[in-house]
Amino acid sequence: MTRQLYIASTTAFWLVVFGLGMTSALWNPVEQGDAQAQEKAITLAELAKHAAPGNCWMAIRGSVYDLSAYLPTHPSPPDIVLPWCGKEATEAYNTKTKGRPHTAYADELLQKYRIGILAKAP
Amino acid sequence: MYRLRTLSLPALLVLFVGIPVFWAFPEALPFWRALGIMLGWAGAGLLLFNLLLMVREVELASRLGGLERITAWHHRIGMAAYLLLLLHPLALAAAGWAESPELAWQVISPFSENWPVWLGWAGLIFLMLGLATTFMHRLAYSTWRWLHSLLGLGVLIGFIHVLKLGIGAGGLLALASAVLILLWRLLRVDLGTAAKPYIVTSVRSVAQSMVEVALKPLAMPVDAEPGQFVLTAFFRGPNYRGCGEFHPFTISGFGPEHELRIGVKALGDCTRRMQHLEPGVSARVHGPFGEFLKALPARPLLWVAGGIGITPFIGFLRQQPVDTPTTLIYFYRDDRDAAYLDELTLLSANSPGLVLQAEATGAGVPNLGRSLPGAEALANHECYVCGPPGLIDAVSRALLERSVPIERIHFEHFDFR
Repeated sequence: MTRQLYIASTTAFWLVVFGLGMTSALWNPVEQGDAQAQEKAITLAELAKHAAPGNCWMAIRGSVYDLSAYLPTHPSPPDIVLPWCGKEATEAYNTKTKGRPHTAYADELLQKYRIGILAKAP
Repeated sequence: MYRLRTLSLPALLVLFVGIPVFWAFPEALPFWRALGIMLGWAGAGLLLFNLLLMVREVELASRLGGLERITAWHHRIGMAAYLLLLLHPLALAAAGWAESPELAWQVISPFSENWPVWLGWAGLIFLMLGLATTFMHRLAYSTWRWLHSLLGLGVLIGFIHVLKLGIGAGGLLALASAVLILLWRLLRVDLGTAAKPYIVTSVRSVAQSMVEVALKPLAMPVDAEPGQFVLTAFFRGPNYRGCGEFHPFTISGFGPEHELRIGVKALGDCTRRMQHLEPGVSARVHGPFGEFLKALPARPLLWVAGGIGITPFIGFLRQQPVDTPTTLIYFYRDDRDAAYLDELTLLSANSPGLVLQAEATGAGVPNLGRSLPGAEALANHECYVCGPPGLIDAVSRALLERSVPIERIHFEHFDFR
């Protein structure tokens, strides 16, 4: 009984993992290129205007993200994240202020909130 | 006391799963991600609990309801932990699926350059391999035991995965607990520091491929009762070299000066070698364990033994007569396999309450329909079964069909794989 359960669950697990890997490899959303072409350049001055919990933009690795909708679900306490609203937060993102990077999952999730690129200083 | 022992394992289970889940319960996270995290912590709690179930301490085993019960829980909990930990990465991936399959794959992909993910995969694969070997009963016991230890390695890697995720306090506590329990098990059980030194004083053949070995303590004796068993390893003697592995043997009797007698049947490589044991061989004895014939109730008894399963019953009868009407049904293949039959016949002749029903079955299975008493004759009986797993299952089924309540059917497998 336990043996059958082991075989069935292990087989099902590998089928799901393999299926997920294949789906991901074949996934090619067409709208991605269009979105990138349309993104706007956001200056540091404009970025600084969005420094409130309900209106929070951050610049990370050259891109600007509107994280207002995501902040309530961020795992860290608000006082860790909120000070970076309206600012260039690449270092904080890369180190989580403790010398540890965010996960690949977080990197992928971040893309959902991308609204433009950070304009180069004049 | 009985209720406390019955509830001890469920209570520990709730503690081991409840504490990490309560401590790590995520607030305000998407459902699938929160579920993935909870599955991980629940699986981790079960793994720690399962490590504790590997510790074979006499007092602890007794408080938890006996080694037989602990082993059954060890198997179930191990499987449950494995299932939860298989679902853990899948639930985390499901959290990203709503966004895109790419994001879902990114969470668990072993190709991403991410130590926590690599360690998670390594831990899971060690669990997978270790569990696969657990089901290979044809492997030699020594090989099986080493392969089974892959599971311990998987647990340790899994907890390092937690540490690498940045969960410092929880990861460190889990890892330290796992290391301590594994060391405890290694030193006390596998290396035998919990066992007491004994020496073989006599060896006699009692049936084909079965010897009865008498052992004398060299220091403090184990405090055993009839029907219990001990884990015993044999080492060197004048012309004998033992395999040094601890195997369970039922106590078949007691002698003067705390002497123990155990029945050893050749069932594998190591026990086959033990058929050539000789006086003077050093041994270590760990125990006693087992609750099989402890606290017999004051009602009629049915004892069913198959082959070497006669050992706890002869151990009991040599020590004391039965107090209540008792029927002992003894199945054996043929006369060469009928260990202790002459002695049992003598004991039953001198004990008015004991009826011996000895049956040679040949190579086939016993005809239980004919051999076991009917439902009416079994009313109010307490039933004890000892023998090969197939016989225990068949007799238990037959007794249930005869309306014997399940709580009045007792058995021990003496198989701790």
